[in-house]
Amino acid sequence: MTMKLVLEHLYLVLLSVLFSTAVGLPLGIFAYLNRPARKVVLWASEVLQTIPALALLGMVMVLFGAGKPTVIIGLVLYSLLPIVHNTFLGLDNINPGIKEAARGMGLSKWDRLFSIELPLAFPMVFTGIRIATVTAVGVAVFATSVGGGGLGSIINQGIRTQNMRLIFSGTLTLMAMAVVFDAGMALIEKRMNRRATH
Amino acid sequence: MIRFEHVTKKYGDSVILDDLSFEIKEGEFAVLIGPSGCGKTTTLKSINRLIEPDAGHIYVNGKDIAETDPVKLRRSIGYVIQQIGLFPNMTVAQNIGVVPKRLKYEKSEILKITRELMDMVDMSYDEYGHKYPSELSGGQQQRIGVLRALAASPPIVLMDEPFGALDPMTRSSLQEEIIRLHKKLHKTFVFVTHDMDEALKLADKIIFMEGGHIIQMATPEEMLENPASDLIRSFMGKRAADSAPVQLTAADFMRPNPISVYKNRGIRECTEIMARRHIDSLLIKNDDDTYAGVVSVNSIKRSGKTTGPIGEVPLSENAVSYVTEDAMESFDKLLNSDKDYVVVLNEDDTIAGIVTKTSMAKAMADALWGDAQ
Repeated sequence: MTMKLVLEHLYLVLLSVLFSTAVGLPLGIFAYLNRPARKVVLWASEVLQTIPALALLGMVMVLFGAGKPTVIIGLVLYSLLPIVHNTFLGLDNINPGIKEAARGMGLSKWDRLFSIELPLAFPMVFTGIRIATVTAVGVAVFATSVGGGGLGSIINQGIRTQNMRLIFSGTLTLMAMAVVFDAGMALIEKRMNRRATH
Repeated sequence: MIRFEHVTKKYGDSVILDDLSFEIKEGEFAVLIGPSGCGKTTTLKSINRLIEPDAGHIYVNGKDIAETDPVKLRRSIGYVIQQIGLFPNMTVAQNIGVVPKRLKYEKSEILKITRELMDMVDMSYDEYGHKYPSELSGGQQQRIGVLRALAASPPIVLMDEPFGALDPMTRSSLQEEIIRLHKKLHKTFVFVTHDMDEALKLADKIIFMEGGHIIQMATPEEMLENPASDLIRSFMGKRAADSAPVQLTAADFMRPNPISVYKNRGIRECTEIMARRHIDSLLIKNDDDTYAGVVSVNSIKRSGKTTGPIGEVPLSENAVSYVTEDAMESFDKLLNSDKDYVVVLNEDDTIAGIVTKTSMAKAMADALWGDAQ
């Protein structure tokens, strides 16, 4: 096992979560603002999540060829659900009194969204990002099957050579990575919630 | 200032506002009241276009608001709601400055306004300005809610049951403050409530609604004196006199069934009764139950008698009223006599009751503050 593989794995995870947020946040906002489109957006992100990760990566590979871009596209699609859903829920669950006050005082739709609704929804959105990140750490294991590298290759190698130590070292590293991400982001989340509820 | 012309609003088949026309004058404190579903909140929210009517026109300052940009319109109309709705991600000062900031006031100007407003409700800027809404009590939060609505100095302020969720003590102190603010700022306030006490306390004009109509629009006094319907009367409870004070008779205020004895009862027995009941006089009646007079402990003492029928003691003459007599006249008699009570008689001269100074005071209290029971 080399540091290179760990970094490669991290690179895949972080880049895909970044893109996933960049796509999922606007989609969640869109679902919140546009009532007719809401069902379609939420349903589509759910359907993506039900496709087995390996199959999804395989399909993307058929379209885009093997390599890192394929892994990242697959991971992005797979991480969309928690981010889109949490963004939508975070916005939708804001106390209606706050929304009414904002509207009644003459804040435009976008002003309300950026000055009040998104800041209030952000802790919830961040929870979505955390879930997406932890999931991506695990799913990125399949990257190796579509030529993306990462820690999955160690496990794969271990399985092929029936080397328990190799499998274990890969798995433990992955678990440690997931735990660190989860705990670290949970800490940030707690801080945000404290500020929000003050 | 605010004029409704044939405004109608329907949700499906149910008519919320039914051809509503009325006017609220500049500087007036108008209170919309009525049972739930009467359309009072819908009326309020049509003024800042949170609700759009299906038909009719609403004019603010002579301009049809349907032709005004809703965002601009709302920035010129203050809005306070029951849920308070302070923005939790902003400090108290930022909350107050929301509208001025959007109207592009200078920062220093916003700060000055914020300080002035907070001083008006005795919450100093230095102490509270940088706190978050969740650090304040409910009453403090709604004070800030009101200030936020006033910050850009709008000529009109709409308030939708603003004190409905507060405890009675806080509510009443906020009511005092809102009256003070209204007097000081000379703005047009439109206030929705379902609490008649609140309406009577605050309003220059009460607008009573039912089923999307205005049943009565009057000053609190007018409404108290002449409620236009039984529903309004019931809303006001005992406050509205069932009959005007001039029609009240002695019978309404007397204490019925005073202690009375027949003339032929023994003196000793009578003093016994007085001692037991802690009273110093007795009503004496003839054999046919008609009123004969009053005997007091003093007159018994003065007569020197200890035995024999009470009728032999000289009876004193208390003032007498009849049950149908105007209450005011029997009060006058009581005040002009040196006795503690006026005897009230039925038409057939039998004893009906007595009017004491206590019953008079109670009558006045009832008339002023409603029946306490």
